[in-house]
Amino acid sequence: MDFDNSKPIYLQIVDVFYENILVKKWQEGERIPSVREIAVMVEVNPNTAIRAFTYLQEQEVIYNKRGIGYFVSENGYNKVLDIKRKEFMEDLLPDIFKKMRLLDIKFEEVKDSFNQYLNNIDHENK
Amino acid sequence: MEQFNVKRIGSFIYRDVILLKGAIITTLSVVSAIFFIVFLFSLRGDHQITSGEFMSIFGKFYVALGVLFIFSVFKEAHNQKSNHLYFSLPVSSYERIAAAWLSTFVIYTLVFSILGFLVGQITIILGSMFSETNFHLLPIFSESYWQLVKVYFVIQPVFLYGAIAFNKNRVGKTLLVVVLFVIGLILLNMMLFGMLNYDYDVFSGERLASDAFDKTGQDFSGIGKGFFMGIFAPLMLLASYFKIVEKEV
Amino acid sequence: MIQIKDLRFYYPKSKIILDNITLDFAPGNIYGLFGKNGEGKSTLMKIMTGLLFPKAGYYRVLGKDISGRNVKCLQEIFMVPEDFELPRLKISTYEQVNSPFYPKFSRDQFYKLIEEFKLSADENISTLSFGNKKKVLIAFGIATNTKLLLMDEPTNGLDIPSKSQFRKIMALAVDEGKCIIISTHQVRDLHSLINHVVILDQSKVAFNQPLSNISEYLWFGKPMRDEKESIIYSETSFGGKAMLFRQDRDETEVDLELLFNAVLSESNKINNALNTFHDGTI
Repeated sequence: MDFDNSKPIYLQIVDVFYENILVKKWQEGERIPSVREIAVMVEVNPNTAIRAFTYLQEQEVIYNKRGIGYFVSENGYNKVLDIKRKEFMEDLLPDIFKKMRLLDIKFEEVKDSFNQYLNNIDHENK
Repeated sequence: MEQFNVKRIGSFIYRDVILLKGAIITTLSVVSAIFFIVFLFSLRGDHQITSGEFMSIFGKFYVALGVLFIFSVFKEAHNQKSNHLYFSLPVSSYERIAAAWLSTFVIYTLVFSILGFLVGQITIILGSMFSETNFHLLPIFSESYWQLVKVYFVIQPVFLYGAIAFNKNRVGKTLLVVVLFVIGLILLNMMLFGMLNYDYDVFSGERLASDAFDKTGQDFSGIGKGFFMGIFAPLMLLASYFKIVEKEV
Repeated sequence: MIQIKDLRFYYPKSKIILDNITLDFAPGNIYGLFGKNGEGKSTLMKIMTGLLFPKAGYYRVLGKDISGRNVKCLQEIFMVPEDFELPRLKISTYEQVNSPFYPKFSRDQFYKLIEEFKLSADENISTLSFGNKKKVLIAFGIATNTKLLLMDEPTNGLDIPSKSQFRKIMALAVDEGKCIIISTHQVRDLHSLINHVVILDQSKVAFNQPLSNISEYLWFGKPMRDEKESIIYSETSFGGKAMLFRQDRDETEVDLELLFNAVLSESNKINNALNTFHDGTI
């Protein structure tokens, strides 16, 4: 896995988990790979992987069954959705607004682009 | 004893032999061929290989190849690129010396004697099949054979020490030390002889030098032998042990 | 597990290479040992393997003295040197002649690693490239299951896919009972593996901190205009990366290269800062 330097590695691993849960690669209630498997997969020190697991447990996205392993929480999908939405609204949007203002892009233009994007997706799916 | 484990010595000897397998096989093949040819020549005329004939060729190779073997065993310890792995291998210094002594003296003498005997015996058998040679057992355990083994027993630890101690030109330096040592010993013997026998007036007249050499020669082979066999050889092994203990990469 | 105290080393008739080295290495960690060329990384590793003897100071492995190359000690240490020669043997023969010396050696593990490195046990080592020879030795070193595994520039000579394999294998190799020390100047190859940084400079330990401390108290990135005064060290080159006191900023990934350069120029400032933070005085 390639890491960028802006964010701690354990949070980048957390993002991979979020992604897998959002695209339903990991279903709710399903067992996920172990700490060591994740460490090997993303080529990090197991201590770093443990940090990611602990963080995800604190967010109640995953839980630990003693002696068996880690599982996606029953409402894990919604939890992740909430987290990522909040992240989008609080972190990403302000940056975009800032840029829109700087480049003088009207909201209508963005809206048009967005609608066009939705149309394209619909076409692709048909 | 955790620093002296027979199994580990065995594994270490096995390791040495496998590492040198190619060289050992080549050398033994060449030596066998040379022995065979020389033995064929000894069969001419009297149709037998006498113990003298056997020893004259066996003796030429036994000590020289033994010395070479000792230096090959310790080659790994001096190569800048292999000595890390050599010295970090969990084998104690006692075990290293024991393994080296066993392989370059005991096992080597056994193998080389058996090889000499087999080649000689095969030559005799072939001779009895294709010529007038009468079948006979090759007499290898003559007095001069044991004499040679004793000599090798004494000088082997010296070369062992040299193989560990010197980094470059190890064979040459060791030989030089041996020569200097022998000269020193002869001088010492002469001095002792001179002092002890001064009253007998042996140093007068023409016979001074030859007489002294004769006497010291006897001395050297008599008491000297006991000294070498019993004390000197083990002492050199001990010195080799301390040398390997203090060896750094 | 490993204690080094006031250790000093110099080669005969030459300047001091290691001076006053005091370090503790604990199991369960992968230590990164950094330093400029010739700052004694390899020398320290050789001392830890019993290949060189310290001129002064104290060194214990698992409470035992290694001097005289104590077998019980050596059975718990394996070092992969930076440059080495292996005998002309088949990989499987190499394993057979060397593994009996390591009581915890696992043949299964060794051949699994050889397979993982895309090598075959029947190959003769002499026909392999240097990188592949290194893989054989790394696989052997891991399979010895020694408590201490030292690696001197392990990724030197490995191609890009092999470096990735190496990281995977190391992530699998480290466990609670094992201490791994990797010396390198190729920081990028290994920075995701290391969880403790030791930097040697001018024959001394210039820096010795767990990564968790570093990321807790230091911040790496491009500073804002109004943050100029909290900069500890900044790179003047293009990009202007800098190291700052983290204070209440978001945690960033430790930029080991930047940290390394910072330590070389401002070691006192950084150490003082980290130590006072850590003692809870600020």
